[in-house]
Order: sequence, then structure tokens, then C-alpha cells
Amino acid sequence: MTCARPKLARQSAALLATSMLAAVAIAFAVSGCSRGRDGLDLPKGASVLHLADADDVPTLDPAAGYDTLSWTFEQEIFDTLVRYGDADIELHPDIALSWESSPDATVFTFHLRRDARFSNGRPVVADDFRYEIERVLNPATRSKGIEYFRSIAGAADYIAGRTRHVGGIVIPDTYTIVFHLAAPDPLFAHKLAMPFAAAVPREVVKRWGSDFSRHVVGSGPFMLKQWLGGERIVLVKNPYYFIKGVPRVDAVVDQIGVSQELGWLKFEAGQIDILGGIPPAEFPYVMKTPRLRRLTLRQTTVSTMYLGMNCQMAPFDDVRVRRALNYAIDKEKLIAILNGRGVVAHGVLPPNLPGYDPNLRGYAYDPARARRLLEEAKIGPDFHPTLWLRADPTTVILAESIQQDLELVGIHLDLKPVAWGPLLEAIRQPRNVELFLSGWEADFPDPENFLGVLLSREQWGGNNDSFYSNPRVDELLAEAAPMTDLKRRYELYDEAEKIVVADAPWVFLFHPVSYVIRQPWVHGLVLNPMRPMRFERIWLSPHRE
Amino acid sequence: MKRRAGTMELVGGAMVASLVVVAILAPWLAPHNPIRAVAPTFGNPAPPSWAFPMGTDELGRDVLSRVIYGARISLTVGVAAMAITMTIGVAIGLAAGFFGGKVDFVLMRFTDVMLTLPGLLLAMAFVSVLRPSLLSILLVIGIVSWTGIARVVRAEALSMAQRDFVLGARALGASPARLIVRHVLPNVMPIIIVMAALGTSGTLLLDASLSFLGLGVPPPTPSWGRMIEGATMYFRVAPWLATFPGLAIFYAVLAFNLLGYGVLRRRSA
Amino acid sequence: MLVYLARRVLFGAAVLLGTSLITFSIAFLIPADPAVAMAGAKADPRTLAMIRHQLGLDQPVYVQYAHYLDRAVHGDLGRSYIRRESVTHLIVSRFPATAILALCAMAVALVLGIAMGLVAAAWRGRALDNALLVASLAMASMPIFWLGTMLLIAVAAMSRTFPLGGYSGFESLILPTVTLALGAAGYYSRVLHTNLSQALDQDYIRTARGKGLSNARVMMKHAMANAMLPLVTLAGLDLASMLSGVVLTETVFDWPGIGRLAFEAVFNLDIPLIMGTVLFAAFLIVVANLLVDLLYLWLDPRIRLEEMG
Repeated sequence: MTCARPKLARQSAALLATSMLAAVAIAFAVSGCSRGRDGLDLPKGASVLHLADADDVPTLDPAAGYDTLSWTFEQEIFDTLVRYGDADIELHPDIALSWESSPDATVFTFHLRRDARFSNGRPVVADDFRYEIERVLNPATRSKGIEYFRSIAGAADYIAGRTRHVGGIVIPDTYTIVFHLAAPDPLFAHKLAMPFAAAVPREVVKRWGSDFSRHVVGSGPFMLKQWLGGERIVLVKNPYYFIKGVPRVDAVVDQIGVSQELGWLKFEAGQIDILGGIPPAEFPYVMKTPRLRRLTLRQTTVSTMYLGMNCQMAPFDDVRVRRALNYAIDKEKLIAILNGRGVVAHGVLPPNLPGYDPNLRGYAYDPARARRLLEEAKIGPDFHPTLWLRADPTTVILAESIQQDLELVGIHLDLKPVAWGPLLEAIRQPRNVELFLSGWEADFPDPENFLGVLLSREQWGGNNDSFYSNPRVDELLAEAAPMTDLKRRYELYDEAEKIVVADAPWVFLFHPVSYVIRQPWVHGLVLNPMRPMRFERIWLSPHRE
Repeated sequence: MKRRAGTMELVGGAMVASLVVVAILAPWLAPHNPIRAVAPTFGNPAPPSWAFPMGTDELGRDVLSRVIYGARISLTVGVAAMAITMTIGVAIGLAAGFFGGKVDFVLMRFTDVMLTLPGLLLAMAFVSVLRPSLLSILLVIGIVSWTGIARVVRAEALSMAQRDFVLGARALGASPARLIVRHVLPNVMPIIIVMAALGTSGTLLLDASLSFLGLGVPPPTPSWGRMIEGATMYFRVAPWLATFPGLAIFYAVLAFNLLGYGVLRRRSA
Repeated sequence: MLVYLARRVLFGAAVLLGTSLITFSIAFLIPADPAVAMAGAKADPRTLAMIRHQLGLDQPVYVQYAHYLDRAVHGDLGRSYIRRESVTHLIVSRFPATAILALCAMAVALVLGIAMGLVAAAWRGRALDNALLVASLAMASMPIFWLGTMLLIAVAAMSRTFPLGGYSGFESLILPTVTLALGAAGYYSRVLHTNLSQALDQDYIRTARGKGLSNARVMMKHAMANAMLPLVTLAGLDLASMLSGVVLTETVFDWPGIGRLAFEAVFNLDIPLIMGTVLFAAFLIVVANLLVDLLYLWLDPRIRLEEMG
């Protein structure tokens, strides 16, 4: 027996040595690879825009993406019929050179430019737009954009599989596309500015099927060169882009898996040209340092953060209690916690949104008044409502601040942080969730996108998660929705918003402000209040890489 | 050698005792309310000072008070989860070891399946699905950590079941339940106690890890793991936010490990 | 031999079947509706109903389980609700990062653990032994995520260029490796120490010493042989669980591996991805178990004889 032992020891040692050698070899291979992979065969002296993001891009398929990161890249790779300006939220030509709508906003006609090509060289035609919208409407695609195109005449039949095409989309010639709507919709052209309605080459989608996201081909200023999951994404110039001299940089390299903190260090080391997320902790330092402060860009987003109260659940069916919460929560403190990256909300609509009423005053921080209102409403000392929220660290910190404030007026708030899906699911059930933290970002620059979508009776079980209903508000919303006369339209929405603020179904918290910091050699960068920043007009002056 | 081993468990025991005292006396020991803002340092945590020896956090709360109160929830979860773990593990281990045969086979294969599942991953999955609450966390930690104990107890019970006095009592017609309670359990008790101490260090770590991943007891209850989660955002400008709660977890886990290994070493020496 | 192997493989398959039941139950414990997670904030009830139908959520449980099992056997773990990519593809694409980290950490942990265990056993009962024991306990008592954060703080204070996270070459591998290896090393050193102590007390070792062999020779040649065996098992299983995702380390260092994928899945309650990562982990552990069994057969002739006899 003893003779087996030394052999065993040798074998174990050999095993150990082999495994370690293997590990070291792999480690060196990795370090070698990552150095080697920087050679993207970009020409020497090419100007490359370096970016960094913490998370991987969820998708590049325009039918699937519905988040900031996906849209950031989709809007560079694809073109839509119409688009917003670099810094404004008005519609400009993209592939459509011109367009017109019928006075009742039921027929929209677009005339396409003839010089647009996909990055594979094929010209973009009207059918490419119809194909994409039908792809979005097709239930098998499971697109989140389906809601936006249901209003097209014949969409219901197409979704149900009764027709091969959507009857309401007509292509009179190769470069013209006409949409007939089932009901008036003055906002329809805005829906076509979403990446959901981008032109995609049918032959490429067919070839890759559900893997199209990894092999996208579009007609935008850039095209996808490389996408290493979890590592990086590389865009290069689309040689066929219809505006000559655009994009101004040769390539965009986005390194993935870079946390905000790491991104900040890389920015300071000059390895990143534009940094979207300045870490909250570093933000005060940036603002205090003139050199850095000059490099920042600021943009108030077209969005509103709010605390929803379920108006069907006692005691939040009592307007006094809802108003009390509005007086009890210190919104300035929330913004201080965010290091000033927010603007106090006085009502539903964010500034920057057409129809925003700057004279609306809302509710000031007044805990004494809150206590009086709660007394009037006979709220006892052992009131323990539960606030539901998304379980991400920043939201939890804000909720804890709200918890502190409410404690001071005698409301003992319990917090329920959950994942995003379950939160949506829970708040949509009637009489289920009494309080929740939520936010809404505009899809279109119009008050309807806030007031109609979030506060009308018909959105109960949909997006009206505070189950608010006021017949007068519903009347005003119904009257305003098809209205094409903008002045009258905004007046009606303004009247509705004033009633909503008085009824206080939400605690109106704040409108987030985003900051971006760029290197001194980055030029031509502007921020859009509603869409991710664009890269194609950015240029870089000479600098050390 | 025996004396030195004794030192280890004594130190461990003293550390555990100190934790228990801090947890019980938290309201008297903590200088401030752990969930109220005591300094206006919103979004801008302040470093340690005489007034706040461990600094304040981004919501203006006193870190020292939060660390002190954190002992309460950590010990509660650690010990209660250990109790659940022990109950499941001892019951399965005893049954398998004492009855042997088919019962043993079925129970041990079940244990094998559970052992195959990665504990933290499974705990994360279940807590997220059940939503974090004190009860769900206790249950999930208990359910994923009992396998080791079941194996140890089974081995001990197996050898006990073959001892003369047990065989004798069995021959005299004693009921299995009576046999287990009167003869087997008392004899496996020492190893159970050791496993309990070691098990608590495991449950403490698992609880802290879940909290760190945002799956802990919901706020405002101060919990060490969650304090570190919040602090990672500030690790460069406010390192004290992560340092102190981490030291607290380290201290608590080490305390139970010292106690457990101390006793274990003396038993085997 | 073949019979033994077949029995082990069969047992592994049975374990995986049990595991698949447990992971499948995750989807049924969930009080929320996966269709909502998938369709997003702005979907209306019609879309939701459609998605439920497409996912087969309107079929009886056992039918759903049968489908799930059938697909899993064919390597199809479903599609992520959030990313809409195949779960298998996501796991496979994230595996190399985790594998590199796990292998490096395991190598470091073994070297460090064996060194500590050997030194402690050589100085058995003396101050150094006790000091190493306490040190190993301390190493195993440190919460991994805290150790990682502390390393980040220390390195950030010292250098502005050292990579603090992400996946970019050799340097970025150092911090996560150290973080992951330290606790395991403490554990291995204790296991080795215990086994060495027992081996050194056995008769044949005493005989060897009696024959005048040097202490070091006895330790290396004879005692180590006995003590390594349990360590091989432990390291094999640990490696498997590391390969299945080192959630905490990867989360602290933004390492794009399976652990971070699992964390993201849990954060978004992306059920197919949660189920996929758990099942994949179990699969790796079953395979590792088999390999360890084989290794035993090769290393220890006694087992070979017993099992065949």
C-alpha cells in the first residue's frame, strides 16, 4: 500500500502544476488578445470617438429596442422618415424630404429622398418602411412599439392575421408612402420618428431572423463594425450615407462593462471622450472645479418623477391626505441628494414640453400644513402605508429620504423595493398598491403623452396607476386629443393639468436633469431633451490618444 | 495544546457575547437615531469627526448608530436562519442515519440534489421571486444551507445506531422516536452545537451577501450588507461608508468561526 | 469499471432532473406576470394576452414543464425577457470571462492554501501554527464583496491608472482574482492542515520517521499523499461552483461573466435567465462531480478495487 502513496503525491502535484500553467497561459492569452484586438484595422490617424457604458446594449434591432442605450446606437445606424433636430424636439426631414397631413389628421403622406442607401449599397425605398412597421405590428415580433401603430387603418386585421399587409399603408410609387389612420391623430408623424419605424432591409432581416440584432444593416450615418457582448461595440462610417462629410469622425468605440466610477477615472485619464454618467459622488467636485465645470453640458429631460397615490384606496381617496403628502415631502432635499441634478416639479408636465405652464405653483414644502390636513382627515398615529419602488440603489435612497420626511408628519412608511416587472404588474392591479414611486419620460413632445396616457379614466389598468378619475378632466382630454390647432390644444391641456394638480393624485417630485462631460477636444456635441445624444456631427480636434 | 484551543473559543465566545450586548443595548449605545437625518449632508457624505466617529452617509444619518443597530438585524437573521437550518438538517440527518436503508437512500439523494445547487445563486433566485422580507430571507437561507449539517449528523447517527446500548434498547422494544430523543440526540448534541456556531457564520455571510445584492430586509432597517451596497457608489470620495459596516460583518463572522473551530479543535485533539 | 461509470452518469442525470424541477418551480413561485416584464411599461392588455399565449403560459403546468425539459435537453434554455436573446447564447458568451477568473483564482487559492497548510503542519502546535490558523479563519470570514470594495478603495488611492473594474487585459484580472482566492485559500489551508495532522499521527508515518527519514521528506512524500485527496475533491467542486458564476466578485468589479449575468437576471426578474443560470450551474457541478470521481479512480487504487469488486 505504501508504494501507491508517492505516486499519488506525484500525480497530485502534476495535476496542480498543469492546472496552474493552464490558468497562467489563459491569463496571458487574454491580456494578449485584448491588446491585439485594439487593431480594428482602422486607418492610421483615423479619428475615433471613445465612449464607455456600464451595461451592454440590450439590442440593436429597431423593432425590439425601447431604452436609452439601444436607441443611442439604433438612431446612428438607422434612419426614420422624420427625426428630431440635434438639440430640439421639432420634426425635421430624415429620409422623407417633405410630408403633409390632411386637415383632420387622418392621412399622412411622405415623399422620400432618392439618394438614401443602406450600408450594403441598396437604395432605401418606401417598402422598407412598410416592412418595418408591419414587422412591429406582427405579434410574433413581440415588439414594444406595437401600441404606436395600432391606429393605422387595417392594423387590427393585419395583427389578427386576416390580411397580408396593413390596408392603411399605401405605396403609390417607390418613393412615396401614405398612412391612413382609423381615427384622427395629430401626433402620428412623431410616432414615425421613433426607431420602431426605421427603414430596415428586408433581405438582411430575413437572412438573420431573430439574430438580426447582431447583424444590423441600416441607412444611418454609421454602421456596425463589431459587437463583442459585454465588451465593446464599434461603429464606423456608412460610406453610402446621404449627407456627404457626415459623420465627421471615422469610428465610435463604446467600451462596455465600465462602471460609472471607472468611467470617471478613464475620463480623467483622457481615455474617454464623452462621459454620460458622472458618478453622483464625484459630481460636487466637478461642479466646484472651473476647469471641469466648463466641460459639462446640462439638459433638463422631458420627464417627471412622481409618487403615485391610489385614489381608490382609503385613506388616499381623501384629497386632503393626498395634498398632505404633497406638502410633507421635501423635494429640494431629494434634489440635494441627487447633487442638484433635478428641477422641482410643480405639476405633471416637464419644462421643455410644448404646452408647459411656467406659472403653475404646485405644493411647497410645508410639514405643518401637512399635519393639519392629516388631522382634519383623522389619520391616526399608527398609519403604516407601503411604498412600492424599483430596487435600484438610487431610487431606494430617494425613497428613504421620503420615508424620513413622512415620519416627521406621523406617517410611518414601509418600503417595498421590487424588480421592475413585478412593480408594473403590481401597480396595475386595482386596489393593490397604495403608494408607488414612478416616472414617465416623453415619447412625443405633447401634453397628451403625459395627461392622456397617465391620468385618463380609460387608462385604468394601463398606465393610470393611481386610478385617478375626474370626469371634467376626461372631457377636456377627449376634446384636446384630436385638436390640430395648437394654441387651443395647449389651453385645454393646461386647464386639465390645473385640475389634476388640485386633485393631487401624485406627489409631483422632480424633473431629472442630465449632465454630460466632454474632453476639450470634442466639438459639436449637443444634447437633446428627449432623445439620446447623436454622434454624427461631433468632431475631434488633434489630441494625444 | 488544549489550553491554547481554549483561548480560541474563549475569544470567539467573548466576541459573540459583545455582539449580543451591542444588539440588545443598541438604543442606549447608539448616539443618534439610525434612520433620521442628523446632519444636512445630503448627497455629500461627511468624513469621521468627533461628533460622528464613523462619519455620516448620503442621507445625513450617523454611520456609527447604523452600524450599532445593524447588529440587531444581522444577529436576528443569522441566528434564526441557523435555527431553521439546524432543524431541517438535524431532522433529515437523524432520520437518514437512524433508519438507514431506503429512508437513508432517499433522503441522502435529495441532499445530493440540494448540494448540487449553488447556494447563493439559488438564494438570490428564490428571494427575488418571493420578494425580500424578513420571513422570505430566513426561509431561503435555511433551505439552501442545511445539507452540510444533515451529512454530519447522519454520519454521527449512523455510528450511534450501531452502538450496543441503542441496539439493546431497540431489542427491548423502545419506539424509534423515543430512541432518537433519549439516546441518539444527546450523543450527537456536541457536534450539533459546533455545527450551529459554524453554521451561524455561514448564514451571517449569506444574509450580508443578499443584502449587498439588494435582496436584504427592506429599509429603513439598518443592515450592514445594504450599507455597503449603498456605499459602493461613494467608494472613492467616502470610503468610510463601506469600511465600517464591513468590519462589523467581518467581526461577527470571525466571532462565530473562532467559537466553532475552537470547540471543534478541542474535541478532535 | 464501466458499470461504475454508467452508475455515476445515471446518478448525475437524476440529479439534473431534480434540479430542473426546482428551477422550474421558480417560475411558478413568482407572483408577477412574465408577460409584463417582457412587454414593458407601455403595453396594453391585448399585447399581454398575446404574449402569454406565445409563451405557452396559458397551458397546464405539466405540459409547460415537459416543454421546458425537452428544450433544455436540446440546449435551448429559452429567451431572455429583457434582452430577447437566447439564454444559452448569453451564458456561452459570458462563460470565458468567468472561466479565466475562476481558473486563476483557483490556482492562486491552491498555491496559497497549500503553502499555508504545509507551513502550519510543519510547525504543528507552535505559535506559527496558531497564528496561521487564526489568519486562515480571518481570510474565510471576510465578506467577499467587502474585501473587493476595500481593495478598490486602496488601489484607487494609490494609482489613477490601474484598472478598477471591467475586463481589459491582465491587469484587470488581478484584483478580482485576489478577492476570490483569499477566502478559498484560508479554507484549503485548514483542510490540508487537519488532514496532514491526522496523517502525521498514523502508524506508517511514525515508522517512516523511525527509519530515519527527514521530517520534510516524510511530510512531502507520505503525509501529503494522504492529505491531498480530500483537497482534490474540494477544489474540483469549488471550481465548478466558481465557474457557474462568482456573483459577488463579478458584481463588485463589473466583470462581464456569468455571475454578473445572474445578478442582472435577478435584478430584472428575468425568469428564463434566472432559471438558465441556476440550471447551468447545477450542470457544471454534476460534471465536476463526475470528473472528481474519475480522478479518484485514477489516483486511489483502493477505490478502483472496491468499486469493481
